[in-house]
Amino acid sequence: MGTTSRATYKPAGLLSRGQCLLFGALLLIPCIELLFDLGISAPTRFVLGFAIVGIGLNVVVGFTGLLHLGIAAFMAIGAYAFAILTCTIYPFQLGFWPGLFAALCIGALAGAFLGAPTLRLRGDYLAIVTLGFGEIVQDLLKNLEPITKGTQGINPLPAPWFFGLTFASDTPKSWYFLYLAILILCTILVRNLEHSRVGRQWFAVREDELAARCMAIRPDKVKLTALAVGAGLAALGGALLASLISSTGEPGNYDFQISILALCIVIVGGIGSMTGVIVGALVMVGMNSILLPILGQKLQQAGIGTTTSVYLAPDNYKYLLFGLALVLMMRFRPKGIVAAREEDH
Amino acid sequence: MFDWFDSDVLLQQLLLGLSNGMIIALIALGYTMVYGIIELINFAHGDLFMLGSFLALTLVGAAMNCGLVDPALMGESSHWWLLGTLVVVCGIFCGGLNLCIDHFAYKPLRRASKLSQLVAAIGVSFIIVNLGLFWGGLPMEVLGGGGAAAAPKDFPHLVSDVNLLGEESFVVMTWNDVVIFVVTIPLMIGLTLFVKFTKLGMAMRATAQHATAARLMGVDVNKVIAATFAIGGFLGGAASVLYANYNSTVSFQMGFRAGMDAFTAAVLGGIGSLPGAMLGGLLIGLVRAMSDQYVGSEWTNVVVFSLLVLILIFRPTGLLGLKQREKV
Amino acid sequence: MQRHSTLLTTAITACTLAGAACGVQAQTSAPLLPSSVKIVSSLPRTGSANAQTTAMVNGIRMALTEAGGKVNGVEVLYEDWDDASPQRGNWDPAIEAANADKGIADAMVVAYIGTYNSGAAKVSMPKLNAAGLAMVSPGNTYPGLTKPGTGEANEPMVYRPSGAINYFRVVPTDDVQGFVAAEFAKTLNATKVFILHDRELYGKGIADVFNKSAKALGMEVVEFDGLDTKAANYKAIATKVKQSKAEVVFYGGTTQTNAAQLAKDLLAQKVDVKLIVPDGCFEEAFIKAAGTNALEGRCYITFGGVEPKLLGGQGKVFYENYKRLYGMEPEAYATYGYEAAKVVLAAMERAAQAGSLSRSAVLKEIAATKGFSGALGTWSFDENGDTTNKVMSVNTVKNGDFETVKVIGN
Repeated sequence: MGTTSRATYKPAGLLSRGQCLLFGALLLIPCIELLFDLGISAPTRFVLGFAIVGIGLNVVVGFTGLLHLGIAAFMAIGAYAFAILTCTIYPFQLGFWPGLFAALCIGALAGAFLGAPTLRLRGDYLAIVTLGFGEIVQDLLKNLEPITKGTQGINPLPAPWFFGLTFASDTPKSWYFLYLAILILCTILVRNLEHSRVGRQWFAVREDELAARCMAIRPDKVKLTALAVGAGLAALGGALLASLISSTGEPGNYDFQISILALCIVIVGGIGSMTGVIVGALVMVGMNSILLPILGQKLQQAGIGTTTSVYLAPDNYKYLLFGLALVLMMRFRPKGIVAAREEDH
Repeated sequence: MFDWFDSDVLLQQLLLGLSNGMIIALIALGYTMVYGIIELINFAHGDLFMLGSFLALTLVGAAMNCGLVDPALMGESSHWWLLGTLVVVCGIFCGGLNLCIDHFAYKPLRRASKLSQLVAAIGVSFIIVNLGLFWGGLPMEVLGGGGAAAAPKDFPHLVSDVNLLGEESFVVMTWNDVVIFVVTIPLMIGLTLFVKFTKLGMAMRATAQHATAARLMGVDVNKVIAATFAIGGFLGGAASVLYANYNSTVSFQMGFRAGMDAFTAAVLGGIGSLPGAMLGGLLIGLVRAMSDQYVGSEWTNVVVFSLLVLILIFRPTGLLGLKQREKV
Repeated sequence: MQRHSTLLTTAITACTLAGAACGVQAQTSAPLLPSSVKIVSSLPRTGSANAQTTAMVNGIRMALTEAGGKVNGVEVLYEDWDDASPQRGNWDPAIEAANADKGIADAMVVAYIGTYNSGAAKVSMPKLNAAGLAMVSPGNTYPGLTKPGTGEANEPMVYRPSGAINYFRVVPTDDVQGFVAAEFAKTLNATKVFILHDRELYGKGIADVFNKSAKALGMEVVEFDGLDTKAANYKAIATKVKQSKAEVVFYGGTTQTNAAQLAKDLLAQKVDVKLIVPDGCFEEAFIKAAGTNALEGRCYITFGGVEPKLLGGQGKVFYENYKRLYGMEPEAYATYGYEAAKVVLAAMERAAQAGSLSRSAVLKEIAATKGFSGALGTWSFDENGDTTNKVMSVNTVKNGDFETVKVIGN
């Protein structure tokens, strides 16, 4: 935000250089692991899922400038739509790919539907309404027990299959490649949108809604597209994450904290930059599911933290580390790790 | 089974709604003031409030240890002086802390985008939660001896639990309810007068309207922002004592919900507007109580947020918010 | 750029296929005993359940120390894994899944102690089952994890993709506990009960059982409602309870889901009612959080087992040792952590003596646990992997400490 975008008409290419480098590095991780077992490709699958959510949120927050605090609701909608359409305890049982596609569409529809009444709202009023939707969706999932199984969560969910091969839960690398491929597809898709007429309209609305209206852009329609794309991708990410653990988890797993995590992914990575968002997911989710666990394990192996004192257990410093990381990152890179360049738009 | 028109029940729920709402309103003021001046949703405000209540609990414990109050008499007789001292001390503590947080975390980001300030605030909120956890682990009797740092702590009643309406009455009103009104209403009136009539208050309003213009008119904007954080923090600290006394619980995770309710209240009333925050807080307290009684508590959040969405659809800048004119 | 990307896409497709095909290397067990093996626990260590899980981990460490850190001369390492994350402040499905993956990938791990939350077990059970890694839970009480016909139609087979049983628990399940609680409400001469739950898997599950049992026992259920567990107080609900004239409130919830606040608000609103809560509240922290006034003579806590200080035989030894080692009273959960580790170590000892410490050997020995004499008495694992120990107790609070009112099934 705050940057002025120039409409550039040079052909964009499928991926930017930064994105190619990033995906190349991500491709390398499991390859290196074939030689040295680092044990990080399995948890990195969650990073990939969250990166898709982040890319979706970035469309809303980064490209269109709408502060959204309830993206977890759309992850939940995606996960539950996927679950209801594929789980064996329901009559539909569409299978992985149709289920995933349906989750994406339902998510996008829900995004547009819930977005419609909020179009008049600006800035932080929109933020609180999206926050409210997050809470409402979560409570509906809990309370509408006949449909959603309430607190039970829905399981099992189908694993992906590819050319007749169904992925087993003990082959994390195959999941890793598939999720990475989906992430790359999403990136290409959103990048194309970004550089199309739709994308330029998003930026126009972000920079100045009134001026955009004067240019015969209809801000309502533009905002709705952004909300639908964002919600659809968040739903896709939610469905992928659910498939990964073969369960939707409890509705409480999609609470405000997750929306905040997604927002941190976008802002810490670099708002408005898709490369940044993926880096943000690596940093934020990676810190939780890769770095902190490994750190804790190493400390324990070194004999630290085996006492009962609350002050000596490494786990009790997680909030502090996470918070400090956020504050310091904003202090020294307020535009995020990968700041969006103007020509990126 | 449940008589819908039981006037005792209605009266009781109204009272509960008002008491809860007053506390929410007091916290909401901290949000709305900071937002009004620098357009930052201060996520850490709820958690700051939590630290205030930990300080209150520690001080109560210290007072017990020093023999200033008799633990056996807690809830029997009222310790007005202790309560008053706590409100002031915790208020000053939270005000000072808020000032420091602003100085170290937000001030360097003043020129950065609003969203990076927001993330910094989220970060500060996590740090404070961790400090609360550690605070709960201190080896003090009131903190449970530090054995279970994460568990909620019992906060003794500082004022009498006797039902002021008589022991036979269905409706319960104790000094705990009265205290909330006695502390909150003067604070709100004081704040309104302060903002309206003092020089600093005027500077605040000027900065809220247009920071650059205020600076050009000779207002020290940095000082105004600092004062805003201090005052917002003070109100949060005062609210923390009332909250702890009213609910008799202190927990390191209580800041989250309190903060969310207060933020919702601030937006509902029209963010940036002081009377709006008060109105929003009261409304949320009342709606929660009524929904718990008449709808069912599992739907309360849905009711509150649906109402919020509805109100904002018809009044996009909140109940008392000014209509924003679009700037070209 | 364009060419780059095409290449990249091809590469991805190729790698995907390769990844799908290569799979995981088979875990072959060496005929000789390894020099060291590992047991891990996966419990929520960040956030509000920290108090209980600390007690559990203490129990596990104590069991290990008692064994001298060895089984049959083989060194046993222990790692305490966190399945919670700071953002969630609670168990996190992604972390629990990652822990299960990590446990499976680490060839040294022969047993997985966990989880604390039944919802987390739903995530890791099928993974560990497919890998044939034994899982012993010190805390899951949701019946559907093991018992056919108590949960969803596809439970528990959905957690056993391999068809075999790898999941065991040392705690009695909620279907037993919920019924005991309802029976106890009956002995309090309750005619009307008001049921609340925390809208989580454990709390809602036990409240459902209580609901069914209470109706079967002829009590009237005046309300069945879920609480907002993050609410500041429940005074409005307490008022509703008062209006309903119920004699008993049952709350399916734990200390973390604000049970203490409910107890306090029932007192603050001067409601003359008895509160019954399940074992999620059976901990020192519950008394500390609620204050004794709100509980004494007003609150009953059901628990699968008995208080540590009432344990006889080996339990008494455990109680004394724990107090000496950690300088505090053991929480009820400490016993379960201890017992889970004990039963795993005993099975490992037998497996090692039989010549193999492979996962399958350890799993076989755990499943074969019969007549195990531990801190909780003498018990076995039944055909579902549940403990045969069905001792339940009803406790109240007196003079700031738990006091057992009734022991059932001893």
